[in-house]
Amino acid sequence: MTTTSSLMGAIALAAFAASAPAAAANLDAGKQKAQEVCQACHGMDGLSAINAEYPKIGGQHRDYLAKALRDYKAGTRKNPIMGAMAQPLTAADIDNVTSYYAAQPGPLQSRY
Amino acid sequence: MTKTKTLLCALAAALAAGGAAAQGGAPAGDATKGRDKVQMCQGCHGIDGWRTAFPEVYTVPKIAGQHPAYIVAALKAYRGGDRTHPSMRAIAAQLTDRDMADLAAYYGDLGIKTAGTK
Repeated sequence: MTTTSSLMGAIALAAFAASAPAAAANLDAGKQKAQEVCQACHGMDGLSAINAEYPKIGGQHRDYLAKALRDYKAGTRKNPIMGAMAQPLTAADIDNVTSYYAAQPGPLQSRY
Repeated sequence: MTKTKTLLCALAAALAAGGAAAQGGAPAGDATKGRDKVQMCQGCHGIDGWRTAFPEVYTVPKIAGQHPAYIVAALKAYRGGDRTHPSMRAIAAQLTDRDMADLAAYYGDLGIKTAGTK
């Protein structure tokens, strides 16, 4: 392998690592965290049947869910309940739990 | 209009009014009217996998099939400033409560199929 191709490989690997946190996510740990923190309101299926003001999160895009949790944790998205729930979550917890819910089947879809 | 149709309309109106009352006076959404108000939504929420460009890149949420009450709550949070995405804030600022209810009814109703539905 030439120096150039080694360098390209290293860059590609770094780019992959930066763009794919979900690849390292642990679905079992995400399920465990969902049981502890999320399911009372959102359910294990993420369909939030308990209250229509709570969003369905099962089958939602993982990176959108992660963005929402980071914003709740930082306080830039303001909601008293979710602010408190997101506060103790680590970056790994957020990766894991959003990967779990994104992987659940659900009715959410894109539509014109 | 036949008597049956009149009765059905009256029933539907009564049900709609009851639904609105149950939600604390929020207007009941009309999915058909909502369909006429989606011009500002569909450019992002109508394209599967579409991503935001600013201020942070992530996939825009799927909103079809979502709870209508949550959609209204989200739009009001953008309008009121509890949520900060710049494009959504600008769009929500132009929506009345009636618009929000109609859009929520449109997106919440999975029975609606369009050419863009996946």
